[in-house]
Amino acid sequence: MLEKKSISKEFTYSFEDPFFSPFEIQMGPQHPSTHGVLKLNLVLEGEKIVDLEPVVGFLHRGVEKLAENLNYAQVLPLTDRLDYISAMNNNTGYALCVERLLGIEPPPRGKYLRTMVCELARIASHLLWLATHALDIGAMTVFLYCFREREIILNFFEKICGARLTVSYPRIGGVRLDVEEEVLEEIYNFIPYMYAKIEEYEGLLSENRIWLDRTIGIGVISGEEALAYGLTGPSLRGSGIAYDIRKHFPYDAYPEVEFEVPVGKNGDTYDRYWVRLQEMRQSLKIVKQCIEKLPEGPVCAELSPDLDMPLFKRAFKAEAIGPVTLIAFLNEGMELVPKGELYSAVEGAKGELGFYLVSDGTGRPYRLHIRAPSFIHISALKRLACGHFIADLIAIIGTLDIVMGECDR
Amino acid sequence: MRRDPKYLIFKDLFGGLLITLKTFFRKPVTVQYPKERVTIFPSFRGRHALVRDPETGEAKCVACLKCVQVCPSRCIEVKFEVNPETGARKMLEYKLEALRCIYCGYCEEVCPVGAIVLTEWFEYSSRDRAGLIFDKEKLLKNWDEFIAKYPDKLYTNKFWNLKGIPEILKPAPKREGIWVKVKE
Repeated sequence: MLEKKSISKEFTYSFEDPFFSPFEIQMGPQHPSTHGVLKLNLVLEGEKIVDLEPVVGFLHRGVEKLAENLNYAQVLPLTDRLDYISAMNNNTGYALCVERLLGIEPPPRGKYLRTMVCELARIASHLLWLATHALDIGAMTVFLYCFREREIILNFFEKICGARLTVSYPRIGGVRLDVEEEVLEEIYNFIPYMYAKIEEYEGLLSENRIWLDRTIGIGVISGEEALAYGLTGPSLRGSGIAYDIRKHFPYDAYPEVEFEVPVGKNGDTYDRYWVRLQEMRQSLKIVKQCIEKLPEGPVCAELSPDLDMPLFKRAFKAEAIGPVTLIAFLNEGMELVPKGELYSAVEGAKGELGFYLVSDGTGRPYRLHIRAPSFIHISALKRLACGHFIADLIAIIGTLDIVMGECDR
Repeated sequence: MRRDPKYLIFKDLFGGLLITLKTFFRKPVTVQYPKERVTIFPSFRGRHALVRDPETGEAKCVACLKCVQVCPSRCIEVKFEVNPETGARKMLEYKLEALRCIYCGYCEEVCPVGAIVLTEWFEYSSRDRAGLIFDKEKLLKNWDEFIAKYPDKLYTNKFWNLKGIPEILKPAPKREGIWVKVKE
């Protein structure tokens, strides 16, 4: 009935063992280190975790269902609320998906601006990850330092588009506004400052004996196993597999900029930390190249649909209202939106952020599925945490970089 | 690693403490909020307002209902009447629920005349829900409160000018940009 289970290679337990007294405990959903409303049902033997079951869904808002009742442009602000600490990546991912469906190509300046803000958002996301991860493990100083720099990036977003977190800055066919020259200059001057600050974080953590003790050998996962669990992003690259959508399936201005994909070796918490810090450096490199190469011209494609695009094909011809709006959609003989389905993915800050879109030819998605990396990473939590102490579980939750807004959608 | 001489002389810990010591002598970045204020940059998406036309003293809204149509959270309601002779619309009532608003700025972007705007005013919490459901008078009052503290003579918003967007995508009055005279 109750068989001997092998959770990890080193640690086995049996319910028939007279000395085995499992202790069940529920961690979360209001625990400060679960990064949101994640609940974990733990089975402990002493302080060791023998079984773990994540319970998700506390932050479910039904974004996918809401999207079915809104037109393509109106869905975009909803994607801000998925991974709310790197909203630019979500917006770009969704906009790119709809662009591929409609066959629109953004102008080069729009592409470069989108790439630039995406990389800034990636830095902001990694900074918040480093801050909370270090705080969980016990390094309070790093938390304060990271928030100091993140504030500067959020100020850039405020200057660019008027919002700090829920930006809604990219739009289908480019971006909504051009960036002023002064702001670009400020971002350019921020890059050397940020390099120095990353040195500071590394000085505080990378050789610190407490940090090393808490991270090396914790949550080890091999490359093949990480692939089998569907891990993407820095969590996969920490295990030694250089899979990056920016390199493998380039979008926007990524084919035109130079950057490297940092890859770890051991697949433990320390390697994932190292990969993310290196990624921040690479992101700064991309931002610098984007500002240097930024072409002139419009930031939005002329064929881009209006924000108030109609839900159904209208009867009147384009000549009747003049060439003001919706050229692509009102010409006679053209479909409002092509029918079909497609999957399009971008490299979000957490991993592969995919949008699977089914179009039935009307102005709103028939079905929109979001492949959220956080949701898939949580499924690997049991594999990573079993056999470790409960104190290490905090480090393992932190290292996966989970955002519950994205996981529960 | 533990036999490493660097480990024995606590180089890692003292190196980290040196960094914190350097920061100790830097200027603090903390803003003591009620006494000090952070800078709010132009076109921050804050409290809603209906722009009062300086010539007529009424709202600039032409009741085209584009904002109602575009709002993703459907928080705007507009009532209007049509003049049977000229066919011109007149806005009678404008109800906006700030509690439902998600501050995407789509309404100010599609508005052809620059009538609705998200001002840079960010301190507008309320103790009850009714205080955050704005009607026409409240929205016009929001605008008056905002321009009373506005330093410049002319007000414009980034979403009224739409820099870098092709002309064909902008509504006709927005192609040259909209500027409102707020002070003499």
